[in-house]
Amino acid sequence: MSARPVDSGWLILSCVCALAALSLMMWQVFNPTVWPVIVAMSLGQVLGTASFAAFGYVVFADFRAQRRADRKSRSIRPQ
Amino acid sequence: MFECVSAALSAIILVGYLVVRPPLVRATKLWLLLGLGVFPIGAAFAGNVQGFEATKERVFCGSCHVMALHRADSDDRASGSLASRHARNAMFGSENCYVCHADYGMFGTILTKAGGMRHVWLYLTEYRQTSLEEAKTTIHLREPSKMNGNCMQCHSTEDTLWLKVPDHRASVDDTRAGRLGCASEGCHGLAHPFFQAPGAPQKTEKP
Repeated sequence: MSARPVDSGWLILSCVCALAALSLMMWQVFNPTVWPVIVAMSLGQVLGTASFAAFGYVVFADFRAQRRADRKSRSIRPQ
Repeated sequence: MFECVSAALSAIILVGYLVVRPPLVRATKLWLLLGLGVFPIGAAFAGNVQGFEATKERVFCGSCHVMALHRADSDDRASGSLASRHARNAMFGSENCYVCHADYGMFGTILTKAGGMRHVWLYLTEYRQTSLEEAKTTIHLREPSKMNGNCMQCHSTEDTLWLKVPDHRASVDDTRAGRLGCASEGCHGLAHPFFQAPGAPQKTEKP
């Protein structure tokens, strides 16, 4: 488990998307008229889902990199 | 309230991450799982429920400018229109547009929401630039014959009191079949009387 600069870009994007989605959702809550509700339920949902998917991708990529590193260190280790 | 708390907690975690940028260790992942998964999903779920409820409100229906007269009439407690009289009934209240225009079939809620999206599409493509005066003559019910079915959700047409009225008794078959509108000029009057083209036959309200 280590910091991977290549993943942090996805995570930053994910956080920004999630914050945007949350803002749209709150806009709908405080101004329940046609456009806020429609935008929150379409664009808001897409942004929120995309942010969670990006997070899932980062975690999965990190897990795979970790496994690869473990396998590599095991194969290098003298028998 | 729940959606606000969930969204606030999520925002705190996300802003915290963006400011501090901690390494991607297990604790960070768990915090981010809360900030990007658990709390936003909670906020989205509660927000969607609230959003769906909001779409039933008269304020929501009236937020498109072509519905301004409908809304104003329903809000007017002195109005004698069918729409306004129903709005004053606690069973309809602030949701009177939805209660009268909703589809009551098995998949009624879904069909009503889909119909609502159709309204949005029509608004964007046809009615956005329409003036109120123009809207009075162009906006109409898509399936006026179905409206009686909605009236009959409450007024079953089987009650003895209802059948005691000679006009009801004489027209019961036509009323049930939707051939004679409850809200027609010869019967209870148009639900939104101001929304008819002069001389136009049975052209009222929503697209």
